[in-house]
Amino acid sequence: MNGPWRWAGLPVLAVLLVCAVVGVQLANGGGSYEPLRPADPCVERQVTSQVDGIEGLTERLVLLGLDEAGCTLGVTREELTLRFAQSGDRADAEIDAVRDGLKSAVTRMKDDGTLPPASALVDEALDAADLNRFLEAGIRALPDRVIDSALKTDDVLTRAIDELDLRELLADPTDQADLEQQIGAAVEQAVKDSLADRLRNLI
Amino acid sequence: MRRANVSLLAVTVALVLADSAVVTLALPDILRHLDATVGQVAWVLIAYNLVLALAAVPAALAISRAEPRLFNALGIATFAGASAWCAVADSIEMLIIARCVQAIGGALALVGCLEQLVAERGERRGVAWWVTAGVIGTAVGPAVGGLLTEAISWQAIFVVQVPFAALAVPAALMARSPTTHRVDRHRPAVRANVTLALLSAALTAALFLLVLLLVEGWGRSPATAALTVSVVPVAALAARPLARAFRPPPGVEIAVGCFLVAGGLVGLAIPPSSNLWWSVAPQALVGLGLGLTVDQLTSRAMDLRLPRAEHAAWTIGARHVGVVLGLAILTPVFTADLRDAEEPAQQAITSLVLDAPLPPQDKIAVAETLGEALAQQDGQVPDLAAAFAEVEVDTTDQPALDQLARDLDDQLERAATRAFRDSFLIGAALALAALLTLIPVRRRTS
Repeated sequence: MNGPWRWAGLPVLAVLLVCAVVGVQLANGGGSYEPLRPADPCVERQVTSQVDGIEGLTERLVLLGLDEAGCTLGVTREELTLRFAQSGDRADAEIDAVRDGLKSAVTRMKDDGTLPPASALVDEALDAADLNRFLEAGIRALPDRVIDSALKTDDVLTRAIDELDLRELLADPTDQADLEQQIGAAVEQAVKDSLADRLRNLI
Repeated sequence: MRRANVSLLAVTVALVLADSAVVTLALPDILRHLDATVGQVAWVLIAYNLVLALAAVPAALAISRAEPRLFNALGIATFAGASAWCAVADSIEMLIIARCVQAIGGALALVGCLEQLVAERGERRGVAWWVTAGVIGTAVGPAVGGLLTEAISWQAIFVVQVPFAALAVPAALMARSPTTHRVDRHRPAVRANVTLALLSAALTAALFLLVLLLVEGWGRSPATAALTVSVVPVAALAARPLARAFRPPPGVEIAVGCFLVAGGLVGLAIPPSSNLWWSVAPQALVGLGLGLTVDQLTSRAMDLRLPRAEHAAWTIGARHVGVVLGLAILTPVFTADLRDAEEPAQQAITSLVLDAPLPPQDKIAVAETLGEALAQQDGQVPDLAAAFAEVEVDTTDQPALDQLARDLDDQLERAATRAFRDSFLIGAALALAALLTLIPVRRRTS
């Protein structure tokens, strides 16, 4: 290009170059290259576990319960998890939200048919329990339908959640042994209470 | 011999101006080696630029009352000695003091070299040599510093300067001194110097922030970062042929350069991923802008103004005040943004760990080690690779754990990139502010 306006090509080229670079960056997701935004805890999500049995059930319950509790408290499941990862006292509202969240999770799992029957968990529970071996052998010999009619998983879980001292449990969630001991004791008590209620109803 | 002398004087100019940002990539190493805080280590950069900015004009006033050869030789020797002192400094305070002395020697050397280059090469060519050496030094400084830090150590940055500067001392003593002393005095070119200051602040954003993002944010090695930022000087070299092809008026050339720097900084603010190739085109824009502006502005600020050394010193002062201004504005912004980025990064990491296809016990083990790593981050990007190395899982779960490690690294890179965005955009705003200073203001006539 020649002539007195030849220089005008430079600003035009500069504008084209800047538009091209910024345009290509934006078209490829520039500007939205940000950390993952946690999901809305009030929107239902599917949770899965890589393990079966009591451990898998506990994991799914905790994940669903955290969502429910987060929704009640107006925070994300992640924010609540990070908050509970720190040792310390918990507010009453937090304790109540977690308890209600776990119970809602039980109801949801029961409603969508993902809650296993008690007979599917009994062998694993007996392995972990310190029972008289004749009693243990007797329970193992019971047919699944007898166990399932005597013990309802949702009832046991709801009782266990009520039984749990969540304030103490959440005060130091890093103590794995103490956590397991407390949950085990709560589940054991819940099974006894559930069976006693069942017997009372039968009589 | 004269050619060698001229080359050594030009190399000295390049070294003094390269020192403005040469340690940028070495700052993490200096921080660790001298057990310093982030605030202290920033002063290794700030002190040099501040002292150079403040000492340039007094040095120019002093040279008119001294023998330029001795004056320049003294300046270069001081610079060389202080460089050696920097290399052996065993505390951060000592390093900062040595950097101040280095800047004083550098200020004397810059005005001395200008006078001697003009004496050797004539007014136009001498000034052109001085300006070009300065632009090259400014542009390649961070890359060379990064390569030396990676290949040898941060001390090597200062050690390699000593022989060049030491050779330049006899070159200064042998080179000609200016013979005529004119008595004319012109006022400083305020507008060109203000533009230069604002543009230097913007270029500081480009070079300083980009290397920090590459090394601290994206975990690249100093050598990789050095090679990456070498796009800027390469693109700066392409600016002259481009300007020759269009032959724009100087004002248009400077305005286009400012616009390109601003556009490049916007591009750096919004990379689509942490792939280094995404930084190449924005850096090329910055480099082209640097090549179109800095030498034009410096020449404009000095254009036939007398005393020459004094006006050159004003340009040095303006450039380095700009660097200090850039650091002063950007450092608190990006450090605060890095801290603000911790929470979303932690939530993203928590989300990925909770949903990871791993058994619950493995998730708990990962969470515990990550918790310790995140607790120690203290405003810096944590090293998750070390945390993951401590986690032991079943061999069948190892692929899922490795994928989780990659996903978490990606989240950290995203968080760091987001944390630097505002600072890059502020840099772009500074470049646009430099552009605004070019708009002619009509004086009211009575």
